[in-house]
Parts: sequence; C-alpha cells; structure tokens
Amino acid sequence: MPAAITIQDVSKSFSTEGQPILAFGPADLEVEEGDFVTLLGPSGCGKSTLLLMIAGLLSCTTGKIVMNHEEVSEPRHDIGMMFQDSTLVPWRTVLGNINLQLELRNLNLDEYSVKISELMESVSLKGYEHLRPHELSGGMQQRAALCQALIHEPKTLLLDEPLGKLDAMTRENIRKDLQNLWMNEKPTVLMVTHSIEEAVQLSSKVCVITPRPGLIDKTIEVKLPWPRDLDVKRSQMFTDYMAEIQEVFQGYGVI
Amino acid sequence: MTFKRIKASIRWLVDSWMVIVFFIAFFLLWELSIDWFSIPRYILPKPSTILVNASADLPRLIDYTYITGLETILGYVTAIVIAIPLGLAITFSSILRRTIYPFFVSIEMTPKIAFAPLFISWLGFGLLPKVIIVFLVCFFPIVLNAILAFGSLSDELDRFSKTTGASILKIFIKIRIPSALPQCFVGFKYAAINATVGATIAEFIGSDQGLGFYIQIQTGNMRTDLAFAGIFLLTIMGLLLFGIVTFVERALIPWHISQRR
Repeated sequence: MPAAITIQDVSKSFSTEGQPILAFGPADLEVEEGDFVTLLGPSGCGKSTLLLMIAGLLSCTTGKIVMNHEEVSEPRHDIGMMFQDSTLVPWRTVLGNINLQLELRNLNLDEYSVKISELMESVSLKGYEHLRPHELSGGMQQRAALCQALIHEPKTLLLDEPLGKLDAMTRENIRKDLQNLWMNEKPTVLMVTHSIEEAVQLSSKVCVITPRPGLIDKTIEVKLPWPRDLDVKRSQMFTDYMAEIQEVFQGYGVI
Repeated sequence: MTFKRIKASIRWLVDSWMVIVFFIAFFLLWELSIDWFSIPRYILPKPSTILVNASADLPRLIDYTYITGLETILGYVTAIVIAIPLGLAITFSSILRRTIYPFFVSIEMTPKIAFAPLFISWLGFGLLPKVIIVFLVCFFPIVLNAILAFGSLSDELDRFSKTTGASILKIFIKIRIPSALPQCFVGFKYAAINATVGATIAEFIGSDQGLGFYIQIQTGNMRTDLAFAGIFLLTIMGLLLFGIVTFVERALIPWHISQRR
C-alpha cells in the first residue's frame, strides 16, 4: 500500500514575546491509504497543530508533509474536516449545511442528492433535513457535520476531537456510525483524540504523543477484528491494548 | 398564512394588554394631575390640550417633521453606505487597522455633537450641516460594529471554507456576510437611536425649520403644549426608524438567537 500521508521531520514553533516556543515535533509518520490513525495525547501536546499542518491550514516550522504525492503548501481541497465545534452555519438547515460544502466546491447539487440521503440515512439523520442546527442536540449536530465533511467524497478525513463535547452515550453511538462509514468507504482517516478507549476502538494505528512539546513516541498497531462492537470492547485483547497505552501515559506522569 | 397572521396579531394584542393599559393610565394620570395640583399650563399642559392645539398647527408640524425626518434618514443612510465598506477595508487591511482604526476608536470618545456649532458656522443654516451631524453620530457605532462583525468569524468556519477551495468572493457571500449581519445590526440599531438626537440638537444650534427648531421657538414663546407636540413627533419618528431597522433585521436574520421566540 502506498503512503497517503508522509510526515518528515515536521515541527512547529510559535513565537511568544520574540521567544520561539516549540509546540510540536520534530516528528515522522507514515499513514497508509485507507488507514484509520489516531493521534492520542494529553491536551496541549500539539496534536491539533499537527492536524492543521497536514490540512495545509498552518505552515510547518521545519520538515515537510506529503499528501497524495503532493507536498502540502496551502490548504488541501481533497480533504474533509471535522472539529470539536461543528462547522454548521446557523442560517441554513441540516440539508443546506451539507449542500454548503458542495456549493463552495462548485459541485452539482442534483448529482449528489442520492448520496446525501444515503449518508443521512446511515447516521440516522433522516427526517431532520429541514431543521436548523440549534433545533438539534449536540450529537445530531456532529452527525450533520460528519455528513458535511463526507459528502464530497474526500480521500482523506481529518477529525479534530469531533466527539470531544458529547456525552458518553452519544459518543459511543457516533463512534459506531463513524466506524461503519469508514469501513464502507475506506477513506484515510486521521483523528485527534484524548480518549484512549476511542483510539483503541476506532483505529488501525494509534500514535501516542508525549506532553508538550509533542513527540510521536510510539505507534501501536491495533489488531482487533472489525467491526469493533461491544463484544470486541469486552474482550481481553481490547483491555490489554487499553492497559498498554495507559501505562505509557502513566510513564509521562499525565495520568 | 393570513389567518395565522391575524391570529398572531390578536395574540400580540392580548399579550401586550398590560403595556397598553399602562400607557392609557399614564396619560390619564397626567391629564388629571394638571387639575388636581393646579399646574399652570405653560409649565405642563394636559395631553388633550397638546392634541387639540397641535392639530391647529398641523400643516407646519407635518412640514417640519418631513424636514427633520429627511435630515435623519439622509445622515443615517449615508453613514451605513460609507461605514460598511470602510469597516470591511479596515478588517482586511493591516495598514488601515493600525492607522484609521485607532483614530476612529479615539474619535468615538469625542461627543460628536460637540462639532455641531462648527458645522453650522462653516455650512450655514441649511440641510447639509444637519445631515453631516446625523452622519457623524451614526457613522462611528456602525463602523466599529462592522469591524467587530467582519473580524470575528470562528476559526472552524474559516478553516472549513479554506479547505473547500472556494473563491474569496464566494466565501464572502455564503459565509462571511451572513455571519457578520447580527453584529452589524447592533451598530445599525444603536445608530438609529442616536440619529434623531443628532438631528434635534443640530436644529437647536442653528436652524430656521425642523422639529428641533420648532421645540426651541415654542418653548421660548411659553407654548409648552406645542413644544410637547414636537417632542411626541420626534418620539414617533425615532420609534418608526428603530421599528424599520428591527423589521429588516428580523427579515434578514430570522435564524439568529436574538430573533428566536
């Protein structure tokens, strides 16, 4: 499998009062096409910074990032992104917000109408098309944001703690949706999270990141069967992966 | 739709009965206290006297309302037309943001009405100096709120729109303008409240027509009743302007949290 994303010696420094402060890196990473990779680390470790650099929304201080055989130097258009706060605009309905992605990309809305209803069906948003974001629960809003991030069929999905603000039950539910969508369409996914359980459940690879300045300390391949339903989560292997990662963070002194 | 609207109006009337009763009670109490406390007419006239005497002078009042209204509207609209593009330019130009913006913020601290005598002496008693003063009073709140409005797009929406590769113009129309409208309306409403104040004071300072002029002359003639008629007309004018702005706001941003009922 060719590498979809290659990260070479990438670091990011911010200057505060003239003094450069290293926020992340230097780090190397290879993400293969169709992988689901999570960047797992404590808050402030620079994992979101790395994600923004991969998206081309932030420049690297050192090193380079290659995505789909192109060096990243400006915002990438072949990606879909999700953030902790949704990118839904309050003046459009759920459907209007999904269409916004297509309109901004000059794509034909009619050609995507079937795809939209399939996508909404798959995350149980059917029947909510004409509601505005404020009429939805936080979980439903993130489901709509997921549809918005996927509708243009991006090869790569960059997720910045998309489930960070949701309650435990809703998180569990949307993880399932996210996993199904990934298994069906096989985009390359890079997700930032600080939940160990979420990382083990969803990823094919977990990158463990140290506290500030973040370094990719360890990459753990998670060899659990798909789909990772509750049975898998109850298995000994799942617990072992969790314990392994917990020990790493215990070593850093963050838990 | 129409039926729904009628129903809504009836409900509005029912819901607002308290304020209606309060208004009636206020004017009734005013009417009666004049006799009760034998207040002289030139100090405080009865509302009924104001109404009767004002209708006798109606042609002049209508004429003057038109003049003051024209000053207000011209100054207000000019302020919007100039302040919004300028606010945009300041938001997106780092040079303007470091030069004109701090200048505007410091001028905002100056009571603009203090310039009124100067403009009258420069430009005379006509329409233009009043329009300029209304413009000055309205311009700064609109431009400062516009800068705030256009400069505070959320990081998420900014990033999202960049990854779509859409043109700046398209992002502007589909994302930046609608996101900025609520804050812009804060400026429009604030300016609408101040617009009539600017016109009235400008007329106090130097004028031969308009409601401000009328109030001043009638107060000088001890015709308190007619002065009150002028004040009422100014109030109605202010309410009307504010009402129009609020109506446009409701039509343009029904989705905003301030508009939800």
